[in-house]
Amino acid sequence: MNAKNVFKLWVLGLCGTATLAFTPAFTTPAFAHGERSQEPFLRMRTVNWYDTEWVGKKTAVNDVTALKGRFHLSEDWPRAVVKPNRTFLNIGSPSSVFVRLSSKVNGTPMFTSGPMEIGRDYEYEVTLKARLPGHHHIHPMFAVKDAGPIAGPGGWMDITGSYDSFTNPIKTLTGETFDSETKGTASGIMWHLFWGAVALFWVGFFMVRPMYLVRARVLAAYGDEILLDPIDRKVGVAVLIFTLVVVTIGYFSAESSHPITVPLQAGETKVKPLPVKPNPLVVEVTHAEYDVPGRALRMVLHATNNGTQPVSIGEFTTAGIRFTNKVGAAKLDPNYPAELVAASGLTMDNEAPIMPGMTVDIKVESKDVLWEVQRLVDILHDPDQRFAGLLMSYSDSGERFINPIWAPVLPVFTRMGA
Amino acid sequence: MFRTDEIIKASKLPPEGVAMSRHIDYIYFIPILFVTIIGTFHMHFDLLAGDWDFWLDWKDRQWWPIVTPITAITFCSALQYYNWVNYRQPFGATITILALLAGKWVTIVAAWWWWSNYPYNFVMPATLLPSALVLDIVLLLTRNWTLTAVIGAWMFAALFYPTNWALFAYSHTPVVVDGTLLSWADYMGFLYVRTGTPEYIRMIEVGSLRTFGGHSTMISSFFAAFASSLMYILWWQFGKFFCTAYFYMTDDRQRTTKVHDVFAYGELVRAEKAKLAGGKV
Repeated sequence: MNAKNVFKLWVLGLCGTATLAFTPAFTTPAFAHGERSQEPFLRMRTVNWYDTEWVGKKTAVNDVTALKGRFHLSEDWPRAVVKPNRTFLNIGSPSSVFVRLSSKVNGTPMFTSGPMEIGRDYEYEVTLKARLPGHHHIHPMFAVKDAGPIAGPGGWMDITGSYDSFTNPIKTLTGETFDSETKGTASGIMWHLFWGAVALFWVGFFMVRPMYLVRARVLAAYGDEILLDPIDRKVGVAVLIFTLVVVTIGYFSAESSHPITVPLQAGETKVKPLPVKPNPLVVEVTHAEYDVPGRALRMVLHATNNGTQPVSIGEFTTAGIRFTNKVGAAKLDPNYPAELVAASGLTMDNEAPIMPGMTVDIKVESKDVLWEVQRLVDILHDPDQRFAGLLMSYSDSGERFINPIWAPVLPVFTRMGA
Repeated sequence: MFRTDEIIKASKLPPEGVAMSRHIDYIYFIPILFVTIIGTFHMHFDLLAGDWDFWLDWKDRQWWPIVTPITAITFCSALQYYNWVNYRQPFGATITILALLAGKWVTIVAAWWWWSNYPYNFVMPATLLPSALVLDIVLLLTRNWTLTAVIGAWMFAALFYPTNWALFAYSHTPVVVDGTLLSWADYMGFLYVRTGTPEYIRMIEVGSLRTFGGHSTMISSFFAAFASSLMYILWWQFGKFFCTAYFYMTDDRQRTTKVHDVFAYGELVRAEKAKLAGGKV
């Protein structure tokens, strides 16, 4: 190797070392967990989340808080996704930063999974207990068997304090109180160590003597009569008896310590959907297009107000993202993650309320960079280019009406009029 | 106490050869064989029976006692073949399960506790060491792999549930939460959020074994024992296939012969060289 090659290697090595040294300076932790990578049709046309609330965004370890809200299972459920015949309301979090004490859907405890109905609404409340300090991105999550988890909107929740102080005592039906963090750990480790010691003794009993090469030569030359040491059989019988006795004692000891046990519960939770609320507004999408350069979803709504009060459209929400006009913005929960809201992203060609008995065609545009940021523009790459979401409208008295809407989407690749 | 001197004498190795063989024992046994079993068997086991072994709320009375022994006996059998047939060493199953548990505990501490923050009790693995010890001892006492497949493999599976009941009986204690009856294990699975593992993923208590008057554990263990016996036979043959060494020798008349006696190789090569050199063997 000449001096030139040595120099090249030295420079390469220096560059590599420098890269490694500076890498930590330019990296940031991954706080979220890839929810934007889920395809738009999954996020827009399966579960339409609304009223999501992260109660107690700042908590200390051991504080009890909640994640609650509602969701509508879209009538436009994609053909590519298995129907929600077996579902589970889950939490999307970076590990178990909270323990989930309870989960209720429409007031029904949901410890096991169960079927839900397309086209109906559900209200959930998940009670959480803060466990691991940190700045955590928490989602409601709807898991559908054979389709996978569908992430809802994510909000930040901060936990302060120290994990060391976390306790989670739970009283059993037999009157004992166990801490979920520690119950069974010591005895489990003790049994593993015990059997590990017995096994090491057994292997060690043969390790102290020549193990491989010597025995292989003897076996090949003379067969196994010399190798089968009588003491091996005696120790083998002793270890066999010892093992069987200890297993028997361990079994009956556990039986007497825990005389009342139940099998794992593998039932199915049956949840009735929320009653269908009377809605005087009837809405149908007659045309929809996605303006690619304008980052806007435009739709024509054919709406009829069959009620007795004027109704104003205020919000269009899909995939946890909310597009509002002034009417909708006034109703926004200030704690809803700002990064998921386009407060003035909803415009209409006719902002006037829809009067009772009136039928109108309204051009509605939901426009914001959020289409791009949240990767919903990828709808253009879906095999089934449709959208779905919820249209929120309000009567003069403040009553909210929710209309699920859905339609095929036509892409527009150039600016209108350009 | 042991026949070691007699065995060493029969090996016809010089003292330096014996000393070297002990170094080879240690180098081969711990860093190579043990670590290789960890790497291969741990992966094999986790792919087939992983969830039942990872999670407390998968340890049911129906699938857990079936899947775990059937999966675990595979490498035990192959390693028994290797250690018994080549060296008459009756610890193939025990060393296999020891290696599996070593890999398991590395994962539990590094992946489940340190990285993912799950408590140890939630991810406590089952132990198969008593089953493995019995399997090894049955082979030692019977010196017969067919009898080991019938007696040892059955005991291997049958001992699994009672052995682990000592570790996990508490997890079947009933708990009532929001008016719903759960086992402690069910509630642990609910308490500790697993974003990618919704409840319906669990393969527990599925099937009609519960029609056997509620004695599904006995039926499961019996079936596991039967299936373990078949698995033992199959994987013993795998062990035989992968442990069979041979080479081909071509003689003066250009006839090629398959030779199974690998220890003859050195002798035969020496003879060939001597012949070529015109000397005597």
